[in-house]
Amino acid sequence: MFGFVKKFDLAIEKVAQYLLVVCILGMLGMSVLNIVLRWFQSHILWFEPFVRYLVFFSAFLGGVIATGKRTHIGIDIVGKYFEAKQNWKAHRWVGRIIDLISLLVLIVLTDACMDFVAEEAKYGRENVFIGIHAKYLAAIIPFGFGLIAVRFFNNIILSFSSQFQFKTDEELEQLNESMGEAK
Amino acid sequence: MTALVIIGIIVFALLGTPLFIIMSLAAMVGFYFSEIPLVAVSIEINKIASQATILTIPLFTFAGYLMAESGSPKRLLRLAEATLGWLPGGVAIVSLVICAFFTAFTGASGVTIIALGGLLYPILSNEGYSEKFSLGLITTSGSLGLLFPPSLPIILYGMVTGVDIEKLFVAGIIPGFLLIVILSIYSIKNGSGSLSVKKFDAKEALAALRGSWLEVLLPIGVLAGIYSGKTTTTEAAAVTAFYILIIECFVYKDLSLFKDIPRVIKDSMSLVGGILLILCCALGFTNWLVDEEIPMEILRFMQEYLTNKYSFLLFLNIFLLIVGSLMDIFSAIIVVVPLITPIAAEFGVDPLHLAIIFLTNLEIGYITPPVGINLFISSFRFKKPITELYRASFPFLLLLLFALVIITYVPSLTLWLVN
Repeated sequence: MFGFVKKFDLAIEKVAQYLLVVCILGMLGMSVLNIVLRWFQSHILWFEPFVRYLVFFSAFLGGVIATGKRTHIGIDIVGKYFEAKQNWKAHRWVGRIIDLISLLVLIVLTDACMDFVAEEAKYGRENVFIGIHAKYLAAIIPFGFGLIAVRFFNNIILSFSSQFQFKTDEELEQLNESMGEAK
Repeated sequence: MTALVIIGIIVFALLGTPLFIIMSLAAMVGFYFSEIPLVAVSIEINKIASQATILTIPLFTFAGYLMAESGSPKRLLRLAEATLGWLPGGVAIVSLVICAFFTAFTGASGVTIIALGGLLYPILSNEGYSEKFSLGLITTSGSLGLLFPPSLPIILYGMVTGVDIEKLFVAGIIPGFLLIVILSIYSIKNGSGSLSVKKFDAKEALAALRGSWLEVLLPIGVLAGIYSGKTTTTEAAAVTAFYILIIECFVYKDLSLFKDIPRVIKDSMSLVGGILLILCCALGFTNWLVDEEIPMEILRFMQEYLTNKYSFLLFLNIFLLIVGSLMDIFSAIIVVVPLITPIAAEFGVDPLHLAIIFLTNLEIGYITPPVGINLFISSFRFKKPITELYRASFPFLLLLLFALVIITYVPSLTLWLVN
């Protein structure tokens, strides 16, 4: 079961990485194209809001990657203390508690954001740009939080497996790389 | 009950729970107690997508990471050594200047120490600088330069407060140079005596410039573009990222478009994602605080003890140094700035001056024990115990505090160029 969860988790990471590459190159290409078009007194109107939503979407995808790499910004005093003392058991339990709190908050948050999507479906603008309804743009939020929640859930499950446990960030990176090669 | 919830959230935060989760939790609890439906949190989150300057954050960060991953640090270091290496303490000054340049583009995210630390440390050691001095210098330099454009913390500060980002860029220049000058003087003092002094070699300087002129042009181009009115900050970010991508992949050929770029995107966006998520989730919480008039409550409390602008500034510095030593700069900007800006305005502090004081404090926070992030990055990078880094950075910490006092009590240093 742990092997399946790890593969599923890495698959999420791969998809997020590919989407990020598309988003970044997309926002870069569109922004530069609009600057060039301006030299010829022209521009494509929907590029600007589209790029902003690409950034918005990228924020969640970046969050998905950061969750897997455990590099979210936080005040990691307790974790660092146990790491310095090399008390890995306590360090792992702190990690589990953090993942559990994060998972629970994200479940409530995703649910609240689904209500927002429902409201946008009722009252939102039908054509924000190029015919995209506001509800689809609002759906980025619960989709993003949902995906991050799944990774926190995976982190909890994997922390109980002796095969996929890790002590430091470098160990996690090596583990992920070896899994990638195995695939 | 309320006190219990607040303590619970603080405990979760100290455990190391991601700050975007803490911010979301605080916002949800705040809205719950104010009987506002939780859907308000997602409305606030959605607002971030309407900020025009949001694009600058991923693109400048991507550009900075591209440079750090390429041969750019080596090329720029060669140029800096060729042009400044002849000065007494020249190699240390080179280190300061080159780190400031990189930090301005990478946003003091630790990339500078990772990318340049390995190059600078042996050079400093070969020049006869002690291990303690070299470690302290590199650790401190990891955040030096965040007052220079187009630093990510400046952009974020502008986005959160609504202060003109282009004015902020100008306001940071002189204080930024002041920090470099003070540290340079200390380096010269440390470098005098036994250390070798090189002669200026015009041929080597020209060769180094020929090798790196495409990268040297970059900050000049960014500033010229923005201040001539030819580009907005957002457009400058797009042009910078595009330009760096082209030169590193197709001119210098340091990076492969298919092999390296996806990895660089992944690394840079995991940082950007972390920052933007905090920004999104904190909006709900800070707006709730403002709605509940919490900043005004704090102001009323402070006015009982602080009678004038100068005592307020002293208190602000102490408060921000504590914040900076516990929190990273991005979260501190998002969480603390909306609380202090109305209070500072009441005490008559100029918003631009406040911004530079704030950012300088947070810059110092990077090397302030116990959890200044640069200390941990250096400890990891150079495989040294954290306590050794505390000792190595301490003289630099004192010097930066001295600079902070000047920046705080001489506002014209910040405002002269803007005005």
